[in-house]
Amino acid sequence: MSYHCPVCNKVSSSAMDLARHMIGRGDKVHRDWISSKGFKYSEFLTLQFKSFGGEGYKTLAKILEKETKVED
Amino acid sequence: MSKYSVIGKRVHRVDGPEKVTGSAKYTFDIVLHNMLYGKILRSPYPHARIVNIDTSQAERLIGVKAVVTGKDTLGRKQSTWRRFPELCDEEILCRTKVRYIGDPVAAVAAIDEDTAEEALDLIEVEYELLPAVFDPMEAIKEEAPQIHEGVELNINVTRHIEWGDVDEAFKQCDYIREDHFKCSSQAHVCMETHCAVASFGYDSKLTIWTSTQSSYYIQALVADMLGLREGDVRVIKPHTGGGFGSKFELDSAQFCASLLSMKLCQPVKIVLSREEEFTATKRRTPMYYSVKLGAKKDGTMLAKEVRVITEGGAYTGMGATALYLTGFFSSFPYKYPNYRYDGYRAYTNTAPASAMRGFGAPQSTFVGESQIDMLAEDLGIDPIEIRRKNGMTPDYEVPGQAHIQSCGLHQCLDKIDEHIKERGELPPNRGIGVSAYGFMSGGIFNWFDTPYAFSAAIVRINIDGKVDLFTGACDIGQGSDTTLSMICAEELGVHLDDIRIHAADTGICPADLGAWGSRETLMNGNAVKMAAADAKRQLLEFAAAKLGANIVYDMDIKDQWVHMVDRPERGLSYFDIVKDTIRGRDGETIIGRGHYTPHRKGMISPAYSFGVQAAEVEVDTETGKYKLINVTTAHESGTVINPVGIEGQLEGAVMMAGGYGFCEDQPMDEGKILNPSIADYKLIRSLDMPETKILEVDTYEPEGPFGAKEAGEGLTNPTAGAIGNAVYKAVGVRINDLPITPEKVLKALKEKKQQAE
Amino acid sequence: MKKELRFTVNGQPYELYIKPKTILVEVLRAHLGLTGTKRGCDSSSCGACTVILNGMAVKSCSVLALQANGGEVLTVEGLAKGNELHPLQKAFLDHGAFQCGFCTSGMLMSSKALLDENPNPTKEQIKEGIDGNICRCTGYNSIIRALTGVVKGEYKEEK
Repeated sequence: MSYHCPVCNKVSSSAMDLARHMIGRGDKVHRDWISSKGFKYSEFLTLQFKSFGGEGYKTLAKILEKETKVED
Repeated sequence: MSKYSVIGKRVHRVDGPEKVTGSAKYTFDIVLHNMLYGKILRSPYPHARIVNIDTSQAERLIGVKAVVTGKDTLGRKQSTWRRFPELCDEEILCRTKVRYIGDPVAAVAAIDEDTAEEALDLIEVEYELLPAVFDPMEAIKEEAPQIHEGVELNINVTRHIEWGDVDEAFKQCDYIREDHFKCSSQAHVCMETHCAVASFGYDSKLTIWTSTQSSYYIQALVADMLGLREGDVRVIKPHTGGGFGSKFELDSAQFCASLLSMKLCQPVKIVLSREEEFTATKRRTPMYYSVKLGAKKDGTMLAKEVRVITEGGAYTGMGATALYLTGFFSSFPYKYPNYRYDGYRAYTNTAPASAMRGFGAPQSTFVGESQIDMLAEDLGIDPIEIRRKNGMTPDYEVPGQAHIQSCGLHQCLDKIDEHIKERGELPPNRGIGVSAYGFMSGGIFNWFDTPYAFSAAIVRINIDGKVDLFTGACDIGQGSDTTLSMICAEELGVHLDDIRIHAADTGICPADLGAWGSRETLMNGNAVKMAAADAKRQLLEFAAAKLGANIVYDMDIKDQWVHMVDRPERGLSYFDIVKDTIRGRDGETIIGRGHYTPHRKGMISPAYSFGVQAAEVEVDTETGKYKLINVTTAHESGTVINPVGIEGQLEGAVMMAGGYGFCEDQPMDEGKILNPSIADYKLIRSLDMPETKILEVDTYEPEGPFGAKEAGEGLTNPTAGAIGNAVYKAVGVRINDLPITPEKVLKALKEKKQQAE
Repeated sequence: MKKELRFTVNGQPYELYIKPKTILVEVLRAHLGLTGTKRGCDSSSCGACTVILNGMAVKSCSVLALQANGGEVLTVEGLAKGNELHPLQKAFLDHGAFQCGFCTSGMLMSSKALLDENPNPTKEQIKEGIDGNICRCTGYNSIIRALTGVVKGEYKEEK
């Protein structure tokens, strides 16, 4: 099972890794995809800054889990 | 008898006689015929739009030959992170916007420095001031001004490392603590400030003499920024007055001198003033740490979660690497089964923060080693014991990240344990603090996107047996010229004075990434060893034929004697064999080639060194002042190639890293560094320097040349943490933000007293 | 208006015409080509420019060249006699008392002035003697060991 970035097609082994990739790239195309799902890039980051537990990434990962999973 | 005849011996540095007689020439000393002097105009504002620059008055000043601004450039942006275009964010000469106090806006070339200085005053720059942000915790807020276009929340880079199941592991812990730390900035304070002499001629070729840690990076970046072919740019590193991480990026002196020289076809020299050195070159990255650490009752550490926000300053520089390494080394030197790191680098309107000796690891080691002492105390476990319980061991796999082969951490812990016991009962207000560390021997990073091997060397043997060693390694004072000459001599079986090294001149030396990340001994050492072996093989082929040796015999050279390994008395003089080999090959020169790039060594480094340090302090509880009494370090760096060099690295690291813990700081007001002079920037001088003791632990690193590994930056990691722990042992106060100044200690002592009452 | 400067540097007499505000280090480096003396700060805080003027260690970035008029200056270039190194230079080599070498000239001159004045300094006096010189590489202790070696007579000057 793998997860493919909907923007640049980077392959990750988990939705969490892919969430990190998307926020990590942080360029306009990746941010635009996040916005298109009705979320704000900056909100995910702010969640990350505030607490332990990787909450920002977990929130995005939940969306990615549904949208980007590819059965190998 | 040692199996080596050169390695491990106490030798004079190969550059020693020149340096002790004042005859060593630095870039600072170079004067060329017809040479002009350049000066750089810098922004007085932390964040502003450049509306207009009027250089006409400056150009009319007698003695001024040229004035350049961003309009004279190709408008390109650069950084050493060439693989990632969005991180190439520094124009050097700003075209539309300045982002920190010190950002260059114009440069002048004139007949002398005074005239150039005068011309700077005549350049009129019209700025439109923009709101600025200085604190990274403010910069990441939605309402903060945007420093680079399109970069949301001013987040320049994020880095993440994770293994195991951290959330689940915390549930298994008997004890969890959360702490916050602040690591300050630090200035490199190289004795030779950044400087360059650039000479572009009518042959359309550019030569740059510069004080640098990587002549190859400068060659490639200058070529790209000025639209030249790499081969038309020759970068020569003369003797260099220190680097410590500040000199492997393209700097304003190099770029502006080159640009001016291209415009004039005349040599131009730019030497940064000490004030510019403090305010407008890069510095150690300040970091805000939040750390959650969980353990079982017996001290077994199960999980660690680290969150870091760094003050990046105006540009990326090498800050992205510092952000990654601080995350990786936050797990050092322990076996955390579950680990998570999230790091964020924020742009701010302050001087760019980048690489400095230790590269993020002095910060993470201060934080980690402070917290592990707190944990040990909470659990009632001895600080040495808790480190033993969790410390890395040889052949340890950092899950998914790195493979550690040699590791002498536990022997180092034993030695420091003995040392502390020997010190016995201490007088009141004295304490010994311990700190353990590890570091890499060069990074397996290719953000520069070099197509070349990470290191390379060429060995050429002259008819009289003298050996020319060509390498791109940069001796910035750390002694790589000596260490590499020793490796070459050992492998080739000749004496140290048979070697003549030619280094860090891109015109004649193969590319090498340069002196950063403690990479030269291992990476360049491997390349040199391979080149020497290649040359030796050519000699041995001839010698075997000449001796009529049975092919089952191995041949070797030692101490200038070419011989059969099992029958050393049967041999020939090295000098005779050199002559015969050249004659027998139609006069063809003997040339050996070597290169090294780490493969299959994980993501970070081919090898890691380890150590434990004990710092002893005495605190004056009336004033908060404390004295560094003694710093003792047990360390291992594989086979010791150059023992005098290692002593120097270690004692020098105590001065620099002790300063980081003890006194060095760069306070700012609205983005302005308040102490930009050596008078005001407090460094450890000889009277403050503690006694230093070295306890060597033997290890052998299979990946290193003759078993050697890093001994440069790792030693910078432990000291701030050891000092913090020592102050705590002495008077029971814990300082979580660097540097640990008397003011902070006194304040904490007062608070402690108030709480007790 | 340029002024006349007559002085001796490393035993060699010189006669120069210089601007009155010219500092000594500039005359040594730019006019005489003696680049062994370095400049690290221009505020007499780092000691890289230390030379010996009339027997005293001075920071040549903070001395006007004209203050040396009629005087004798010794720079690092004047330490060795031909190819015979001064005992301090030999000791610095043996003890690895330098790395990048940029502070070394000043460090050697401060050391020489110290030992000329007091041939048997204690360790504390050695530390005081070089406290005005910053070395960012060595951590000073190897320099202190080198000086101690000279004080103990391990490095004799050749007669």
